[in-house]
Amino acid sequence: MASTEIGWQTPLIQGSKRLSQVTQDVCEPLERKASAWWWIGFLISLSVLMVGLAAIGYQILTGIGTWGLNTTVGWAFDITNFVFWIGIGHAGTLISAILFLLRQRWRTSVNRSAEAMTLIAVMCAGLFPLIHMGRPWLAYWVFPYPNFRGPLWINFRSPLAWDAFAISTYFIISLLFWYLGLVPDLATLRDRSEPGLRRSLFSFFSLGWNGSYRTWQRYETVYILLAGLATPLVVSVHTIVSMDFATSVVPGWHSTIFPPYFVAGAIFSGMAMVLLLMIVVRKTMHLEDYITHRHVDVMARIILATSGMVGLAYLTELFSALYSGNPYEQFAFLNRALGPFAWGYWIMVSCNVVIPQLFWFRGVRSHLGVVSLICVLVNVGMWFERFVIIVTSLHRDYLPSSWASYSPTSIELATLAGSFGLFFTLFFVFCRFLPVIAMGEVKGVLSYGTNQEESHHES
Amino acid sequence: MATDKQYWKSLQERDGDEVFLREMQQEFPEPSQEGTGGWSRRGFLRAAGFTLAGAALTGCNRAPIEKAIPLLVQPEFLTPGRAVYYASTCAGCAAGCGILVKNRDGRPIKLEGNPQHPLSHGGLCAVGQASVLGLYDSLRLRQPLIDGKKATWADVDTALIAQWKELQKSDRSVCILSSTVTSPTRRSVIDRFLRRFQNARQVIYDPLSSSAILDAHERTHGVRALPRYRFEQAEVIVALDADFLGTWISPVEFSTGYAAHRNLETEAPHLSYHVQVESRLSVTGSKADQRYTLPPSQMGPVLTQLAVRIAKAAGTVTSWQAAAESPIASRELDEIANRLWESRGRSLVICGEQDVTAQVLCNYINHLLGNYANTLDLANPSLQRQGSDQALQVLLQDLRDGKVGALLIDGVDPVSELPEGEQLAGWLQRVPVKVSFQDHLDETARLAQYVCPTPHYLESWSDSEPASGIVSITQPAIAPLGDRRPMMESLASWSGEAASAYDLIRENWRSNFFPRQKAPSSFDIFWDQSVHDGYAVIEPQSPQPKEFDLAAVHPAEGPAAGNSGSLELVLYPKVGMLAGAHAGNPWLQELPDPISKVTWDNYACLSPATAARLGVADGDVVLLKATSGAGSAQEMELPAFVQPGQHDQVVAVALGYGRSETERFANIGPRWMEGQPTLGENGRVGKNAAPFLELRDGALRYAGRSITATKTGRQHALASTQSYNSLSVPTQGAFPGWEPRPIVQETTWAALQQNPKAGSDGVSPAREDLWPQDHPSPVHHWAMVIDLGACTGCSACVIGCQAENNIPVVGKDEVRRKRAMHWMRIDRYYSEKASAVEVAHQPMLCQQCQHAPCETVCPVLATVHSEEGLNQQIYNRCIGTRYCANNCPYKVRRFNWFDYPRQDPFANLVLNPDVTVRSRGIMEKCTFCVQRIQDGKAEALRRGESVNDGDVQTACQQSCPTQAIVFGDRNDPNSRVSQLANSGRYYRVLEEINVRPSVGYLRLVRNRPAGTEENNRG
Repeated sequence: MASTEIGWQTPLIQGSKRLSQVTQDVCEPLERKASAWWWIGFLISLSVLMVGLAAIGYQILTGIGTWGLNTTVGWAFDITNFVFWIGIGHAGTLISAILFLLRQRWRTSVNRSAEAMTLIAVMCAGLFPLIHMGRPWLAYWVFPYPNFRGPLWINFRSPLAWDAFAISTYFIISLLFWYLGLVPDLATLRDRSEPGLRRSLFSFFSLGWNGSYRTWQRYETVYILLAGLATPLVVSVHTIVSMDFATSVVPGWHSTIFPPYFVAGAIFSGMAMVLLLMIVVRKTMHLEDYITHRHVDVMARIILATSGMVGLAYLTELFSALYSGNPYEQFAFLNRALGPFAWGYWIMVSCNVVIPQLFWFRGVRSHLGVVSLICVLVNVGMWFERFVIIVTSLHRDYLPSSWASYSPTSIELATLAGSFGLFFTLFFVFCRFLPVIAMGEVKGVLSYGTNQEESHHES
Repeated sequence: MATDKQYWKSLQERDGDEVFLREMQQEFPEPSQEGTGGWSRRGFLRAAGFTLAGAALTGCNRAPIEKAIPLLVQPEFLTPGRAVYYASTCAGCAAGCGILVKNRDGRPIKLEGNPQHPLSHGGLCAVGQASVLGLYDSLRLRQPLIDGKKATWADVDTALIAQWKELQKSDRSVCILSSTVTSPTRRSVIDRFLRRFQNARQVIYDPLSSSAILDAHERTHGVRALPRYRFEQAEVIVALDADFLGTWISPVEFSTGYAAHRNLETEAPHLSYHVQVESRLSVTGSKADQRYTLPPSQMGPVLTQLAVRIAKAAGTVTSWQAAAESPIASRELDEIANRLWESRGRSLVICGEQDVTAQVLCNYINHLLGNYANTLDLANPSLQRQGSDQALQVLLQDLRDGKVGALLIDGVDPVSELPEGEQLAGWLQRVPVKVSFQDHLDETARLAQYVCPTPHYLESWSDSEPASGIVSITQPAIAPLGDRRPMMESLASWSGEAASAYDLIRENWRSNFFPRQKAPSSFDIFWDQSVHDGYAVIEPQSPQPKEFDLAAVHPAEGPAAGNSGSLELVLYPKVGMLAGAHAGNPWLQELPDPISKVTWDNYACLSPATAARLGVADGDVVLLKATSGAGSAQEMELPAFVQPGQHDQVVAVALGYGRSETERFANIGPRWMEGQPTLGENGRVGKNAAPFLELRDGALRYAGRSITATKTGRQHALASTQSYNSLSVPTQGAFPGWEPRPIVQETTWAALQQNPKAGSDGVSPAREDLWPQDHPSPVHHWAMVIDLGACTGCSACVIGCQAENNIPVVGKDEVRRKRAMHWMRIDRYYSEKASAVEVAHQPMLCQQCQHAPCETVCPVLATVHSEEGLNQQIYNRCIGTRYCANNCPYKVRRFNWFDYPRQDPFANLVLNPDVTVRSRGIMEKCTFCVQRIQDGKAEALRRGESVNDGDVQTACQQSCPTQAIVFGDRNDPNSRVSQLANSGRYYRVLEEINVRPSVGYLRLVRNRPAGTEENNRG
């Protein structure tokens, strides 16, 4: 394999696939019985999800007191997990929308899974604002709907209200975008399946797709329009999430750098998560020809770039705090680096800024094991970034009398684990029932039919 | 159409068959089967329907209603929904503060200070405030017990009268053992009861004894009396180990007087000079202008040295120049003596040591300074401490020898309060007749054959004479909640003069007090006036003190030579717990100690240096072993607590813990997977340190036993509400010099006279805004000013707020998790200056910001601004995102983490019906007592006037003994709060973030020379 000599000329899809071969490669895993590995992975994820659900159930029955929060630290694991999962989702939208508009053709191999990951991550994220409420059964009050309580409106000045809009918009657009892209592939699956429930379902969801020129033409139009709609969301959602912090008066939160800093961080962590999933998927589903070293390489470069942005944000934040002359702000940052939660800060810095620098080396980028490890570490680091922002800012704010510490309870740990359980359970279901690669789009980037076909025929 | 045409349905009808026609008239013409025997279909359905309906109705039935209309005849003055206030006297301790009992719908729900009362002037301490909860204690005995079994009063009377007859014939002694009896009527009933026996006496001891002061006055002035201390006249105060603002004798009265002489916001500002010499850091020490820490054994030498200097100034020659060397630098002692001498007649030296020699010296100094009849009133003495430890010692000897025939115990629990409690329990077995008047089964009452429970003071008549000439009334504010009988009624009926307490008191007042007063001409008018006011001032009747007896004065000895260097034990009362009489009160158990901020425990306080030497930190269990002294306890394990400001040679342990009453807290607080119990390993809250006391040479001694402390390696978590104790951030968190935060601002008296804004951090308020005011307050703008100089940290406001606002008790584990629910907290900050630790107290409550950061962030508008400047929390709209609490710079919002159990329906009677009980998952916080504001406005409307300044008082303000909290309308330029806001000392916390709080503070001022104000906090 030409894995060590990746260039712009390297073909996106390897193995000189014919069109039918692509269809066969992608659809085949969905049409045979699930492998033992799939079952093992699925059941483990499902068990972890169940543990998380039990923890959530216990917490809702008993009270938020089952979390380690206190009067001083009102948010910790809950909002950390929320921001973390929302961030994970961002890479999917970036790949599917922005890279589409930028004509990055390599995206076709990964965009389907990335978008699915986005949806699942947004679901995981959406769970936390819901369960972090003292009275989650009244969560619908954050939406402005006609009511008989006055009528009582919501507070449009509250970033939490913006959050509700941002996240629901994001989820809806992402869902539509992902589904629209699926329609031609669903039709393919429909055509390949035997009559029965499976076929009826695919038939229903493929919306009568007939593959005609007009169908394709309209599809392309809607797709590019939705991509245009989704593009601002990449920026806006995490900007709004960051405003939960930026608009407050808490030292360490009240900072104008937060929106770009959060967006960069989100793409950083999301890209790492996509890359990790892709490496696993290509191996387990035998899609090495579709998700190639070139893809890994490109995504590693994006991670490297966003790592730089995140690092810059850390330094800018520190500099502006020290330069501000505001002792509360200075203390918030020095306390992050040197206070009781300094270990969290240094985990964050090393995982997010130091370790990704290894991606400067081609050898590292091409070694899938190392890449996977770095991706895991980036996600650990990004989780700690949110933890550091939330907990270390809150635990020592203005009045020293109120300073307190925080440590998670078993319920919080189980809930965090449960969110990963939910993520992987849904991802396993996705891999099992839907094509993980957008066949229709991949076929468009095949070298098939071009005169380069022969020259790249290599094994 | 032919009309005669006939239609018929059957031949029978056409033929007019009568039977058939009759059946046709019926609703259901088919042949009936009734009466044919067996069940008819309809009968069955009818019966089945009835059964079903009956069964359903039974299910709907409510529990039988026992008292349908409790107020069949509407009592006068009682309007449902309106509070009625009864003047009464607090019996939380012997200080006898005047109170107003707030009654709602027939039940007392809150105690407030009586502003007219001549002793307490409207203040009421935390213990007094919390004592209302004792009324609704479901574990109080409701009826008498004989040998532990429920009995009737008739049984008890029959049995005991027979016993008394026996005893009248024998010469075995009858003894009443009680705490200080301030009730003159009860005293006279006791006297009458005891007179019927040949050998009878009353022995009084105070668990927090001041008997040495009384004994010293017997030596020096010939009268065994406690002088009434007049802090309001004292310009220079020197206190040795006397926590007079916190726990010593009558803290509310003393705080009121103390604050009256430290008022900087009057026409002629004045500030007394207060020197505190103490072994541990007390509330009083935290307010001192000059504070010295010494081990208790050094107090005598200091007094001796001071006496020498004062005597020299007075021209009296003493021959004790060679007396023990003083541990305070000679120059500083000269300075103190000079100050005292310059203010002679307006100075006061007090000593809390239970040592007669030291107390005599103290009297001598006050005598030389001419303070008697000025700042110490011995002619009209205080009656708040009457105990005689000598008499107690004699009684204990008699008990040991089995000489006591009958022992009647009232208001004390000697088995848990006295040093030899365990042996005492054994000796009590030998007493043939034991009667307890306790209303719960404490360790002593368990041993009594007869338990004659007395009612709570809020449900019975009583009277009190806390100081000679000041008599006050305790009146019932609710119908008695059980079959209990006041002690005076029991004694009267056993004396054969059965009468109600009301009659006894009235009679006593008619014969003894009415003649001694001047104003009203008839007794009825005098009585009604006294009941209305809650007190009366009459001609005092006390023995005249004799000339000062100089022969009684001797220099105090220094510590024994071998003693120096070893640790000395100091047993002290906590502000909320005192000697432990209220140990069963959850409010007081959860009240953070004003200095340590620890709740639900006692612990061994060690100075930081000693703790470092022993290698222990907070919560490390240490083994204390007494190496001297005669108390019964030789060793005890207690968690350590590192207490700055304590002498290195001192181990301080709080009394009043480990009481059997605390076993009830086994299930307090929320229960969940990781929840920890409130009780310790012994099944109680804390450990009883009373066995470490010493009853030696006629005095119950709290300090001075030599002790060793060793680390055990085990842990016992302490629940503290504050974990960071300084205003300076850790040095690695700030550029050098930027560590201190100007949250508490302080200055000196000298600097303040130069510059009214001395001590300011330089941030100026009232910046112009670009935008029009978001929340105008056209009519009222409620605001508060808190004088940090006046606040002593006594925490009366914390309990006052808890009672007023239905604040739940959450238990030790929740406090440990920093989830205490108090809306009002008192932040305590240490600072260190030349190794002397100083303390600042800062009451912190919702600052009612005008640019409230909490309001903008709530997604559902559950916290909004009122047009009276209040920041309101709408409980039923809150969904519990906690964003408001995160965004609150003052961290005053409290979240309901759980549904806090309110399982005891009886204790729920204390809830204030004007305040919502909050449910799980919502945010709450100080409301500025909005229900009181509404009440004040409604009352003003009823009067047809506008709200006057002072009409609305918040609960915290009402009870503050030093009137440090002032509340009012900022829109009224003449209101007290507006005037104080114009003071040079006024500042707002975190002014620079421009949240515009409605609560402001007045800078802390200490009486010090200029140039000493730079305070390197940290």
